[in-house]
Order: sequence, then structure tokens, then C-alpha cells
Amino acid sequence: MSKNILELHDVSMIYGPVKALQNITLSVQQGEWLAIMGSSGSGKTTMMNIVGCMNKATHGVVVLDGEKISRLNAKDLTAIRRDKIGLIFQQFHLISYLTAVENVMIAQYYHSLADEKEALEALERVGLGHRARHLPRQLSGGEQQRLCIARALINHPKLILADEPTGNLDEANQETVMNIFHQLHAQGSTIIVVTHSPEVAAHARRVVHLEYGRMIRDEVNVECPAA
Amino acid sequence: MFFRIIRGAVTRQKQKLLMMACTMALGISLATAMLNVMLDVGDKVNQELKTYGANIMVEPRGASILSDLYGVQEGAGVADKFLLEDELPKIKTIFWAFNIVDFTPYLDVRAGVNGSEHQVTLLGTWFAKHLDIPTGESIDTGINNLKAWWEIRGDRSSQGKWLSDDDETGVMAGAAFAARNALKVGDVIKVAVTDAGGRERAADLTIRSIYHAGDAEDEGLLAPLAVVQRLSGLENKIRRIEVSALTTPENDLARRAAQNPHSLSRHEWEIWYCTAYVSAIAYQIDEVLTDSRAKPVLQVAASEGAILEKTQLLMLLLTILSLACSALAISNLVTANVMERSTEIGLIKALGASDGQISLLVLTEMLIATIIGGIIGYFAGIGLAQVIGQSVFGSAVDIKGLVIPIIAILVLLVTIGGSLPAIRLLLRLRPTEVLHGR
Amino acid sequence: MKPQKMYFKIILSSLVRRRSRMVVALLAVAVGATVFLGMGAVYYDIPRQMGREFRSYGANMILVSSGADSNLSLAEASRAEALIPPEKLVGATPFRYETMYYNLQGLTVVGTDMQSARKTSPYWQVQGEWPSAENQLLLGTDISENARLYAGSFVELEIVPPRGRKFKKEFQITGVIRSGGVEDGFVLMPLGAVENLLGQPGRASVIEMSIAADSDELTLLAEKIQAEAPGVTPRLVKRIMNSEATVLSKLQVLVYLVTAVVLFLTMICVGTTMMTVVMERRQEIGLKKAIGAENKSIIGEFLGEGLVLAGVGGLLGIGSGYFFAQAVSMSVFGRGVSLPFFLIALTLAASLVVTVLASLLPVTRATDVEPSLVLRGE
Repeated sequence: MSKNILELHDVSMIYGPVKALQNITLSVQQGEWLAIMGSSGSGKTTMMNIVGCMNKATHGVVVLDGEKISRLNAKDLTAIRRDKIGLIFQQFHLISYLTAVENVMIAQYYHSLADEKEALEALERVGLGHRARHLPRQLSGGEQQRLCIARALINHPKLILADEPTGNLDEANQETVMNIFHQLHAQGSTIIVVTHSPEVAAHARRVVHLEYGRMIRDEVNVECPAA
Repeated sequence: MFFRIIRGAVTRQKQKLLMMACTMALGISLATAMLNVMLDVGDKVNQELKTYGANIMVEPRGASILSDLYGVQEGAGVADKFLLEDELPKIKTIFWAFNIVDFTPYLDVRAGVNGSEHQVTLLGTWFAKHLDIPTGESIDTGINNLKAWWEIRGDRSSQGKWLSDDDETGVMAGAAFAARNALKVGDVIKVAVTDAGGRERAADLTIRSIYHAGDAEDEGLLAPLAVVQRLSGLENKIRRIEVSALTTPENDLARRAAQNPHSLSRHEWEIWYCTAYVSAIAYQIDEVLTDSRAKPVLQVAASEGAILEKTQLLMLLLTILSLACSALAISNLVTANVMERSTEIGLIKALGASDGQISLLVLTEMLIATIIGGIIGYFAGIGLAQVIGQSVFGSAVDIKGLVIPIIAILVLLVTIGGSLPAIRLLLRLRPTEVLHGR
Repeated sequence: MKPQKMYFKIILSSLVRRRSRMVVALLAVAVGATVFLGMGAVYYDIPRQMGREFRSYGANMILVSSGADSNLSLAEASRAEALIPPEKLVGATPFRYETMYYNLQGLTVVGTDMQSARKTSPYWQVQGEWPSAENQLLLGTDISENARLYAGSFVELEIVPPRGRKFKKEFQITGVIRSGGVEDGFVLMPLGAVENLLGQPGRASVIEMSIAADSDELTLLAEKIQAEAPGVTPRLVKRIMNSEATVLSKLQVLVYLVTAVVLFLTMICVGTTMMTVVMERRQEIGLKKAIGAENKSIIGEFLGEGLVLAGVGGLLGIGSGYFFAQAVSMSVFGRGVSLPFFLIALTLAASLVVTVLASLLPVTRATDVEPSLVLRGE
């Protein structure tokens, strides 16, 4: 059980004079729900980009599911991203000209084979079964975010990475999205949520606090109902 | 604030604006080049068509009826009318003097060669005569430029050149005549002419070169005018003049005038007289030469008009096509550019800008790119036009000021026309939609 | 679902659902293809079309008898005419020169085929009507002026046939001909009339031919006639032939240069428009990369879109380009344009190359950028 899905050893990210991340060391176990918290400019998005294989750290070692991703080239990073990570963005980032189900299928397509039935099931699971043939602009914000989640889940990633998943959502939709996360957690998915909102972080089982690129606290959320 | 946004957009979006301006410059240079070439192509092709030779023939009044008919012997009392050589410079003093490209006089006499019974035509003309015109100009004119299609063969020393006007002992032989009499370059022939008084005068002339005209001239000899006048005793006399003039294609007015200039009303007459119609130029030549009758050679003059009109129309249509296409391409690019900035426009709108303000903002930006591109493009286009002019016609294309306003209006219309539909499209979107990248 | 099917679905959706953008791109390609085909067709057709126009200068080949007598047999001449491709032969007009007398003064009378003469000498100006009957004639303008005889009046000519007694015949002057050349001093009447009056039918002094061909072709034709038509000697009218070659080649270079310039600039305009349209989609490219698309799949998708755009836009452009070339040809030359197949293929190829290049350039640039940068909207 206690296998580490993600390990960061002394990771730093330096853009010229700016030290976005400094000497972060962190390990995440399989099935964990971790929140990375911090205000704007604390380095949380940088961290998410490194973990999500979208940026390479300037220093340090990142191990994802037993692979040292900090040593990989761009092409291999793409493959890791495709096979192991499900990404959820604050701005949703859907492809405007594809329908909901097609937006899910495109992730399948890049991964292996597009399977419409499976994609529809994934939409069903996030409660979007009836909106499968709609274009993103015809969906509400909450629906778009649920679509993003469905897309992130479709390839059974080892790790779900969400960057401010509720940043653009109202409370009701935030609730829905959090409920989905709870279900995923219950099913054993590993989830990392990057957020500035204590409310969102409160759902997680473990919270890491960042400030000015440094990790200042790593605590287990004791109040959590289903810990 | 408006200017601040503009300044920001211009300086910070340098690359995109630069691309816009570059494309604009290309489109405008195309339009400038095409317009300039199109407006000048008439003159240029007109020059080229001079290769067909003379388009006006001047003869003594009343002499033409039997002069150059088949088999009719001269000296039968009809052909003894002449024009005067010393009046020739007057041709360059008429209203359309500037349009007279070349002219040359001819004097033809029958001559016996090497004592043969069979007489041939000895034609005297100017080759490249230097003339001082009463107006103070001076020109070189003669047959050299009028008979571009003649092939001239010579030996190594003469290199197939025309005679020079002061060559008193030289003669050029027609190809057919030379072949029949087995003459070659360098041979000396004895040419004998019976003058008006019935006396025979003879001279030994050296064949400097042989010409092939593909015409009746191939059967005769060609010599400097002075030599022929001296041999025939017809000093200062010439039989006819060929004139090559740049003309305007004929229209109805010109055709009516050609029949009878006096049938025109005063006003029509003035228009006709002051337009470079071939009939008007012929009429003006009539006016300056004593007892002359200038006739347009319709084979050249009329065909010239037809070709000119076709070429100009063709270029006009091609110019319209390229203008329309560069207009479409540019406005399309403007549209693409405006669309690309949907997010930015959505943001400004979310910040409370009115539709009018947004449109003005976008338009101003586009216009800045356009004007920069337009200026660069105009000069590049002039360069292009010159390249075309030099490589096709070997002379510079006349740059017309008229092109500038046409281009300016075109640029404005195109930019505004290209921006407006895109702006309208963007304004229809709700700001949130644009901002959320939908 | 098969990968190909998904691939086409992505491309098709992108094309159909991003309508306004795609219209812009399509329009750009179509404009480019229109210019390409339109200018190409005009350029290609210029020698043929302009060559026809130059026929207004009149005959460029004449046939004379190769025998000692200066009379040419029309039967022999028609064998020579048959050697010329009919689509190139604008006209062939026989001329028979005879002498008749008016008030004891000799006049050169030319018997000719009036219909054909109007084709080979389009520059003749006739005031009045062309003769249609055997007792009608055209009077040269010089004779008309000197003798004060005008269109509509009658003239009595004295005819001396080779055999038999001289006689007089009255003709109606239907028109006065003006050419500025020798015709001004001639009397023109139908060839049939001359044959009836003077006998010896089926002969002509000379035959003028107007052939739509360049000088090389004319030379070949002349050699062929010389070799294969006995009794006939062809002569090329150097003045017409050489001058036409000079002027026509200039015109062709002019249109060539203009076409080259227009094509080059239009292609660049098309390219930049395509680039702008693609550059707009950097975010989408970033997203696709983020969710695990490899560069080559992304490039493949844009390539597919580009090919469809180029194909459709190219076809549209070929349609409108043909329409344009046809319109130019009809309004300038009054004849349809001939469109060779290779030009159509070339237009499509050019559309494909320009579109694909112009869309791949920004795509490869976008795929090189790390997706995180693009997604943050930088």
C-alpha cells in the first residue's frame, strides 16, 4: 500500500533571478489526496507544472511512478503525461470545436484508441451523459469542469493533477466537483490539488503549504471525515 | 488613455504588427507596380510597335495615282512631281513634333548597272542623317530605325551595317538583285542614270552590304540620297517621305476627320487637331510641307491602334484582378488578425469599453500597421515597376502621381473593410465567453 | 473507434465548427488559387490570342507562281493552302491584277475574293458597301478624288480582252476604299467578274495569306509548301513576321513578369493569412500537448486541415480563376480561353504547398514551446 507514486528530492526552479521553487522535498503515496496550498506567487503552479511533466525543474530529482522524469526529454515527458497523468485546469481548456464526448475521446486517441462507449461512460460518471453531444460553449462552467475531469480520468492515470479546479466555479459547482474528487479518492485514485482556497484544501487528506517558493508546512488534515 | 493603449499595443505586439505591415507592404507594392505599369503600358507598347515601320506616307500632291503601280512606267508625265528635301526639318516643328519618332525621304530612279539593258530601281534615302531643327533641337533620323526587319549582310569589314550618309562611293544591293547578277559585298558596279535632261551620268559604286527586305526593294539598289540626287540631277528633290509617329488609337471623331477634316465643328476640330491621331499628325505634316499629301498607312496605323487597345485593356483587367486580389488578401489578413485578438477585445469589453471605443481602437491599430506598410509598399512597388519596365522595354516606367491617391483610398477601404466584419463578429460575443476561451 | 476515423473527425470538426476562421482561411487560399489560375491561363494563352490580334496587320505569307509566267493556278494554290492547319489559317485571298481603261487612262483592276480580303486585310476602310454582284466595284480613294467618282455613282470602263474586241461595260461603285497603301490607286472587283470579262479563269497573280503562327512555324510551313505544292512559291512577308515576333515577345515577357510578381506576392499574402489563422490556435496546441499528444500527431492534424483547406480553396479558386480568365479573354479578345490541364494541376499543387507550408511553420513553432507557457496564455 505505502508505495510512493511521486517523490521530489531537493527540487528547485529558477527563472533567471527569480527563484520560483527552492529545495522542495516531498513524497506522495499511492491513493493519497494531497492539496498544495499557497497564495499567488508562492510557486504552486510551478510545482504543478513540474509534477505534471509540463516543465522540467532546473535542479533536483523528480520520480514519478518509479521513473526519474527530471532526466527525460520532451518527447518522453509527453509520453509520461499521456500515460500516467490526468490534468485538470482552472480555465478548463477544452477544444472548442469538439463536442463533450469528442473532447474525452481525443485524450483516448492520443493515448491509444478512441472508444466512444467508454468515453460516454466516463461522462455518465461525472453526470454529463445527457450533454455528450454539446459543444463546450454550450456547457456551463461546472459542466465544463466536469468534462475536464472526465477527460483527465479516461486513460486511468496514476495521478490526477488539478490546478485550481474550482477557481472559475460557483459554490454549487464547487460542491459537485469536490464530490467527484471524493468518489475518486474512495476508489483509490491519487489526487493532487493545487489551490489557494482553504475551503478546497480542507477536502484533502494532506495539505502542503508553499510560500515564496519554499515548503513551510506539511500537515495531515485531521478533521477529514473519511480519513 | 486611448493613445496609451495604442502605444502599448504597437510596441508590445511588435511582431504581429510587423507581419501585418509586411503583408500590407507586399500588397501595396503589387498594386503600385501594376498601376504604374498599366498606366504606362500604352506608351511603351506604342514605342515597340514602331518596329512595323512608317505609319504615315507623304507624297507630292496629285502624284500618287500612277506612281507605284505595277508595270506602269514613270516619266509618262504623271510622276514628275517632287517634295523638297530642305523642307524636311519642318516635320519636327508641327504641333505633335514630339511624337514623330523617325522619318526618311526617298528618291527612286531607274538605273542601268554595268551597262545592262535591264534597269533596276536605285533608291536614295537617308540612313542616319543628322538634322538641326529650327527649334534648336537636333536629331538623327533615317531608314536605319524604320526598317527593323531588314536583314543586312556584309563582309567582315562592314559587318552587315547600313551605309553612312556621307559615303559617296557606297551602295547597298538588294538580295534578289545581287543573287541574279552574282554580286557580292566588295564588288564595284557601274551605275548609270539618265537625268531629266536626257544625259546619262554614271558612277562606280562599291557594294558595302546586301539587304534582305522580303519585299520589292530586294530587286533594287539603295544609296545615300545625295548620291542619287547627284546622279539623276534632281538636287534637293525627293519623291516621298516615310514617317513613323506615336499615335493614339483612332475613334469615331478621328475617322470622320480622316475623311474630311472640314466636316468637323470648330470644337471637334480642335479636339481632333490636339490629339495625336494619325490623321491629325498627317494633316499637320501637310500643313508644313509644300504641295504635299500625307496619308496614314492604315496597315500600320489601324493595326497599331487595335494592338494598343487590346494590350491596354488586357493590362487594365489584370491590374483590376491583382488589385482585387491584394485587397481581398489584405482585408482577409486584417480579419484574421482581429479575430486572433478576441481574448484581448473581450477583456477590454469586460472592463466596460463601448463597442465604438473598441472598434476605434482596433481600427487605429490596423491603420498604423497599414500606413507603415503602405508607405514601404509604395516605394517597393515603384522599384518593381522599374524592374518590369527595364527588363521588358529597356526603359524606365513613367511614375504617375495619380497612383498615390488610388493606393491611399484602396488601403483605407481595404483596412476598414477587413476590420469591420471581424470586429462585428467579436462584439457579438459575450465578454465571458471570450475570456473563458470558449 | 479506428484511429483514422477519430483523426478525420477531429479535422472535420475543426473545419466545420470554427466556421468564421475557416472561411477566412478558405478565402485566402481561394484568392491565391484564383490569381494563380487566372493569371496563368492568360499568360499561357497570350501568344495565341495576341497572335490572332496581330493578324490585323494583314498577310504574313504570299504565294506566287514558281513558273516563268506570273500567273498562279488557283488549283495549285489550294493544294498549298490545304497544307496549312485550318485553325491557323485566318484567310487566303487571291489577287489578279489586270488593266482596264477609264477615259483612255489605264487603271489597275484587281480581281479578288471580297469576303476573304476583309479577313486578310482587316485594315481596309471602305466608305459605302462592299460589292456583292459582278457589275459592282470598289474604287481606290486616290482615283475617287482625281476622277471625282464617289460611292453610289456609275463608271464605264473599257476592257481589252486578250482575244476578241475591246468593249465597254458599266459598273456601279458601291464604295471607296482607303488603306494608305497601293490599294488607294486600284479598282477592286470580284474575281468572278474579272474572269468573265477577261477569260482565263482559275488564275491569280498572287495569293495573300494570313496565318496565325510565329516566325518559326511560318518558316516550316513555307518549306513544306515549297516541297509539297508544285507550281507555287511561298514568300514570307518579313516585315510582318519579324515585327510581330519582336513585339509579341515583349508583350509576353511583360505578362510573364506581371504574372510572376502577382503570383509571388499573392502567395505570400495567402501564407501570412494562414499563419495568422494558425497562430491563433497556440492555446489549443498547448492543450493537446498537455493531455499527451505527440508533436507529430498535432502536426498531422494541422496538415490534414491544411490539405482539406487547400483542396477546397484550390478548387474554388480554379473555378473563379477560370471564370476570370474567360472574362478577360472574352472582353479583350472576343474569344474563349484555352485551359491546359497541367495548369489546373499546378494550381492545386501550389495551393497545397503554400497552405501546408504556411500552416506548418507556426505549428512547429508552437509545438516546440512548453505547454505550460502556452496554457498560461503567454
